Amino acid sequence: MKAPRSAGFQPAAPPPSRRPGSRDNRRQDAGVAAGWKPALRGAAAVLFTILLLALSGAAFGHSPRELLSILITGSVGSTFALQGTLLKSVPLLLTGLSVVIAFRAGVWNIGGEGQFIVGALAALLASRFGLVPSLLAAMLAGAAWASIASLMRLWRNAPEVLTTILLNFIAIHLLGWCVNGPLRERTAMYPQTDVALATLPRLGGLFSGLHMGILLAVLASVGAWWLLYRTNEGLRLRATGFNSSAAKWAGVNVRAQLVRAMAISGAAAGLAGGIELLGVTNRLFERFAAGYGYSGIAVALLAQLHPLATIGSAFFFGALVTGAGELQRTANISAAVATLGQAVVILVLIGFEYARSRR
Amino acid sequence: MRLSRITKSFGTHSNVSRAVDDVSLTIERGEILAVIGENGAGKTTLMRIAAGELSPDAGEVLRSAQDDIGFVHQHFLLVPELTIAENLALIERRFRFATRKTLEREAVRMIESSGIELHEVSRRVADLSVGEKSKLELIKAIATKPSTLILDEPTSVLTPHESEELFRVMRTLAASGTAIVFISHKLPEVLAIAERIVVMRTGKVVMETREATAESLARAMTPQPPLPAHGERVRVRGTLALSHGNVQIHHHEILAIVGVAGNGQSELAEELRARFPHAGQIPEDRTRDGVIAQMTIAENLALRGVRDAERMIELYSIRALGPRQLAGDLSGGNQQKVVLARELDRRPQIIIAAEPTRGLDIEATSFVHERLRVAAAAGAAILLITSDLDEAFELADAMQVIYRGKLSARMTPEEASSRVANLMAGVA
Repeated sequence: MKAPRSAGFQPAAPPPSRRPGSRDNRRQDAGVAAGWKPALRGAAAVLFTILLLALSGAAFGHSPRELLSILITGSVGSTFALQGTLLKSVPLLLTGLSVVIAFRAGVWNIGGEGQFIVGALAALLASRFGLVPSLLAAMLAGAAWASIASLMRLWRNAPEVLTTILLNFIAIHLLGWCVNGPLRERTAMYPQTDVALATLPRLGGLFSGLHMGILLAVLASVGAWWLLYRTNEGLRLRATGFNSSAAKWAGVNVRAQLVRAMAISGAAAGLAGGIELLGVTNRLFERFAAGYGYSGIAVALLAQLHPLATIGSAFFFGALVTGAGELQRTANISAAVATLGQAVVILVLIGFEYARSRR
Repeated sequence: MRLSRITKSFGTHSNVSRAVDDVSLTIERGEILAVIGENGAGKTTLMRIAAGELSPDAGEVLRSAQDDIGFVHQHFLLVPELTIAENLALIERRFRFATRKTLEREAVRMIESSGIELHEVSRRVADLSVGEKSKLELIKAIATKPSTLILDEPTSVLTPHESEELFRVMRTLAASGTAIVFISHKLPEVLAIAERIVVMRTGKVVMETREATAESLARAMTPQPPLPAHGERVRVRGTLALSHGNVQIHHHEILAIVGVAGNGQSELAEELRARFPHAGQIPEDRTRDGVIAQMTIAENLALRGVRDAERMIELYSIRALGPRQLAGDLSGGNQQKVVLARELDRRPQIIIAAEPTRGLDIEATSFVHERLRVAAAAGAAILLITSDLDEAFELADAMQVIYRGKLSARMTPEEASSRVANLMAGVA
């Protein structure tokens, strides 16, 4: 028998033979998301959503133009607004990547919220050892939390789409117990923890309000792209997601793949929680996760499961949340409009997909 | 029904391939029409247009109002989680209440009136053999009483006996006025059943005839002569023996496991796959388990560490635009060649080939056979699971019969030639 191939990374495909002017080459280069069409679809969905939101505002007596202008200036119109948007984008980007990796492997990790929370909890506990150990602890905790679901899948075939959601509730209540009990701040004024003993350093200059987490998040999406499209691991992961039955016949250990994809996915969501704690809130409190885990699903779907497109997608949702905050302050429209926007974008995308399948 | 000047292309930009090119065709009531041609000749595309599943780029489909088309696809459109009875009940679109008992009673009636044999309607479709699934598809199509019935390679998963059964059903249906279109590339059965034969090649109709010989059809189908017969093979018995249950395979040898589909072949292949994860593996269900359609040829090959996709395309004469073409865009035969390149190029010591030529045309079939012979000659131990007896006798050095999950004793092909039919039927 042949010895198993070394687990070392190797390029997923031979280096592209660059034939200048050859359109097919570019179109089918899976490394850059099979061309511009998905990106265009995403952009169109975004525009459509913004228009729809503005028009529905008109139904309640607001001027669509005014709404649009508040939404835009409130999210990217000033350095301050842009900073707010970027701060919101960082956790969204990481939870989005978490979902991208899981869904690419065909694993339904809906547990970003829970992994986000346990990541932050671990980061808080490990913060006394310094910044790097704290972030590593966040990733490890997220991976471990997600692995509960994948191991239950292996042992008892429990569907991860359910177990990950259930684990979210456990994590939410675990956090609630921690901030009211063992981890409650020393002064015991509010149900919140003491500040973390490490913080992410700030960026300088114009964006002095921003923390280094943004660089980590962008790095993570490049890393996820590299993993998915330039390594053997990514090749097998995608093969499993596309057609696990065929992947088995092509020699992929589908069960191991499931466990690894879930762990990587959980690590990304855990890191998001750690960064949010060490960069923004500094403390944990009950509503700390604020739906970032769930929003990651929308981010990933808008990015059409491409890790680099996730950057743009996370930015859009970050802007939507920040802009919606401004709408609430100046036009007295509920900030829930941001959540509405998330839903509409996904529905618009599904509409596009349907139209495409009919052609 | 009349098709007039139909043209259909696939692909985008510079990457267009014309699947059907200016084809006109009339289908008469009560006739059995065979549409034959190599893989990728455009047979299936043309028929999908006729059935209204695809719209043509140019040309017209003329159908009378009461025309109702049944289409049995090469791939299964069944819900694996549901039972036979439940799958048949899906034909009924109206809202209604029904108990499991009612559904099963109706299913039995439907199966009886179709004239096809299929037992135990409470079984889940996922547990059926490929042959049984294809029978179920047929029953489903016949149950709607279509005025035109299109069958895409229906015999590729049937035993000779089952094929005979199918032909009987086809003749009965035709006699009652149903038009039957039969897509195939098995010449003997086409000659036996069809009243009219249309030969397609690269999207065009190249021949239409009522009287044909196997030779004239083969010539019309393939532009080039078939591959020359292989030379005599050196046979060396290896020393390493592996056993799996009571299967023994030897290096330099092709062992054929033959049997009627659904006698435990899938389970055997699955077990072998799990036992020998590094063996060369050619899966039984080509459309589901062959290539990963959404990935490129290069990526599919890389799954087994096969790097030089450009060379593989040449070596295995895969008809493709290049290594970055999506494997799903290739024709069935060329997808199977990608699987061969992926599984055989790393020279595995054991090869498990399950129904490796099912549904392939003459050229692709002889290519697969050639590759298996070469691999055996190079020292591989090959386990060929097949329901095609001709294939078994052509390739095998030794044979075993599988019947109801049990393997017979090992036989030489000479011994097998007299006993195999009885063993397959469970008589011996």
